[in-house]
Amino acid sequence: MTSIYLLVPLSLVLVAVAVWAFFWAVNRGQFEDLDEPARSVLEED
Amino acid sequence: MAGTGIAEFSLEGHWASESDGQGHAVFNAEGIRCANCARSIRTGLDALPGVTSTEVNVVNGRVSVTWKSGRISLGTILRTIAGLGFRPVPLAGDAAAAARRDERRGAIKRIGLAGLGSMQVMMYAAGLYTGAFQGIDPQIAEFLKLTCLLIATPVLLYSGAPILRGALHDLRRRTLGMDVTVSLALLLAFTASVYNTLRGAGEVYFDSVTMFIFFLLLGRWFEMKGRHQAASVTDALARALPASASRLDPDTGAVAQLPLAEVRIGDRLRVGSGQVIPVDGRVLSATALLDEALVSGESVAQRRVAGEALLGGSVNAGAALELEVTAAPHQSTLHALVRMLEHAQSQRPRLGLAAERMASWFIVRILLLTAAVGLAWMFVDPSRAFPAVLAVLVATCPCALSLATPVAIAAATSRLARLGVLVTRSDAIEGLAQVDTVLLDKTGTLTSGAARLLGAHTAAGLDAATALAIAAALEESSRHPLAAAFMPHARADLRCADAHEMAGRGVEGEVQGRRWRVGGPQFAAGLAPAGTVPPAALSDGLAGATLALGDESGLQAIFRISDELRPEAPAMVRELAALGLDLQLASGDRPEPVAQVARTLGLPRFEAQLRPEAKLALLRRLQQDGHQVLMIGDGINDGPVLAAADVSMAMGNGSSIAHAAGDLVLLRETLGVLPQAIGIARRTLVIVRQNLRWAAVYNLAAIPLAALGLMPPWVAAIGMSLSSLFVVLNARRIIGTGAAAPAEPGAAGPIDAARPLPYGARA
Repeated sequence: MTSIYLLVPLSLVLVAVAVWAFFWAVNRGQFEDLDEPARSVLEED
Repeated sequence: MAGTGIAEFSLEGHWASESDGQGHAVFNAEGIRCANCARSIRTGLDALPGVTSTEVNVVNGRVSVTWKSGRISLGTILRTIAGLGFRPVPLAGDAAAAARRDERRGAIKRIGLAGLGSMQVMMYAAGLYTGAFQGIDPQIAEFLKLTCLLIATPVLLYSGAPILRGALHDLRRRTLGMDVTVSLALLLAFTASVYNTLRGAGEVYFDSVTMFIFFLLLGRWFEMKGRHQAASVTDALARALPASASRLDPDTGAVAQLPLAEVRIGDRLRVGSGQVIPVDGRVLSATALLDEALVSGESVAQRRVAGEALLGGSVNAGAALELEVTAAPHQSTLHALVRMLEHAQSQRPRLGLAAERMASWFIVRILLLTAAVGLAWMFVDPSRAFPAVLAVLVATCPCALSLATPVAIAAATSRLARLGVLVTRSDAIEGLAQVDTVLLDKTGTLTSGAARLLGAHTAAGLDAATALAIAAALEESSRHPLAAAFMPHARADLRCADAHEMAGRGVEGEVQGRRWRVGGPQFAAGLAPAGTVPPAALSDGLAGATLALGDESGLQAIFRISDELRPEAPAMVRELAALGLDLQLASGDRPEPVAQVARTLGLPRFEAQLRPEAKLALLRRLQQDGHQVLMIGDGINDGPVLAAADVSMAMGNGSSIAHAAGDLVLLRETLGVLPQAIGIARRTLVIVRQNLRWAAVYNLAAIPLAALGLMPPWVAAIGMSLSSLFVVLNARRIIGTGAAAPAEPGAAGPIDAARPLPYGARA
């Protein structure tokens, strides 16, 4: 059961990384427009 | 945070204006979350000397203030609001868009952290629950609880910050809001959990805390989306105007760029092909082709000749043109529209007020009930007192109750705006849904405003051209739809300086030293002594509306003016009848044309030759019989009748939109959208009632379960959040309806063209 003392802190680190990545994406404006980029692929210029 | 952003304000923008010793401003105040926030702003501002009225809208966070110029400055008002803990931000323009972007990003981050955090905590909590049944090493249990604490702390402090801050504001102002009970529950659960973790015994509620925050934020996210969407509608209008204009020097002909705010009346501007007309003006070039889709919703490009009016916000679809400015930039039609829309959005509907009062009444009761439940359990089973208290606090949060109405009204307002119907009074939607009788004006409403002269008959001694020129001089300042027919016949040497318009009857004034009247035959003959027989030769059999010109010796001329039915009128009448509405025609015109229009449209009931007072009396009679009356008029000549009706709709035509006095204003001159608008209003009322019923049933059902200890705190958290979510999503159906249905030609609203895909269109 001692593996828990390693795995739980590891999961905390993973969550921290996930939160950091999410915040980074939000700050970069990744969630500003969820419709237009998908359509713009289909448009010529 | 409070206090920043005030420096960005200036009186230049469209959102604030001062005239006739009265100042008026509409702006957003960040941090408005509940009825109590709104109340504290209202009482705070009303206490200031010089402030005449304050309106605060909880849903879109809008504040509308009117003050007496000179007694108080806008700066003082804004500082007062900042002092109350709210951040005033301008509505339109870049600052508002940036403020909204920051709010949106902050909300996404808070939801993200709360979501990830509650997932993680739930995982450890699952371990703890299974451990409680199957046995778990106390050391490992303690370790898991500490880990939960580590995750729940940032979730509470970062994600839960707006809730805690809201509660703090409420307490500081000695009021009780939703945030207070929610924060009380969060803090009680969190501190108890921390205490139990540290002493190594007892229950922990970290999972309930994180989950509650996550769900609460989710509900507020949807509410914020609706608010931003409503704001983007007005933004699209406000942003349509360019920030600068090209002015022509009258002497040298040189072109100079200058900020729009510095454009003055009388300036000559050049507008390039494809550019936006920056202000209201008059065409100087020989012809011009204009796309007025944004201002009037008219999708076909309009041709204008020299001297005709141009609306700011329309796009020059032809060659480069020159124009003369006729209105200051902040008084242009587009700005007036935006102001009207914003004013309406900042008003609070009656329906909402009732729900808000109910919610704050509710909160006091909840706190008393919670104390009673806690006390009772103390005697029965002290170990179960705490979870029961938590569950009651969480389950009874009246979030859904206070959201039920405002979200639905906001959704309906933006849906109607997309149709081309502006809601200028917040109660209008409720009124429109309950209407059972429609009173229609004829001229300019059922018939198109494009009046044309069919013929003129004059008495001996007056030639037709002079008669028309006199009539044109008198009617020059009139906004009556038929007055336009005389304008091509105006002459520079015939002018009227003291034209005096009598609403719905005609105009009286002096031209070349003689007093004249133009208007209905009876009115026109009124200057002559009674008994003067109107020349019999003047009556004829021509169709159309009749106007007469008279002086002190009797009638001098009779004009026939075409008054054609709008092509969409018959379909509208059929559809309205199908909706179960009773239609009546009330016109000031002669009986024959009115009867003809009524026959064509299949209207069984009509009254002709009604003066405004008589129309008002007819309306009152209908109201006394218990009818809810919608009055549709051109909004300019029917002012008093429109004001007296339960709901009024004005036909906005071109530049007169800004002056139109109706609860609802049709942006485009088409009646076709009316049945649809009534359908939306009725649907909105149904949804409001569903929402209120749902919220009440949920709260009433949850209280006994929670008080009896049958509902653990985390179940209460889910239940409360789902009920709020249900209410918000239910209201969003209003925005979605009809979006997928085949739109009638040109039905895309004037605002639609300028904004991104509406959120609801995805649903």
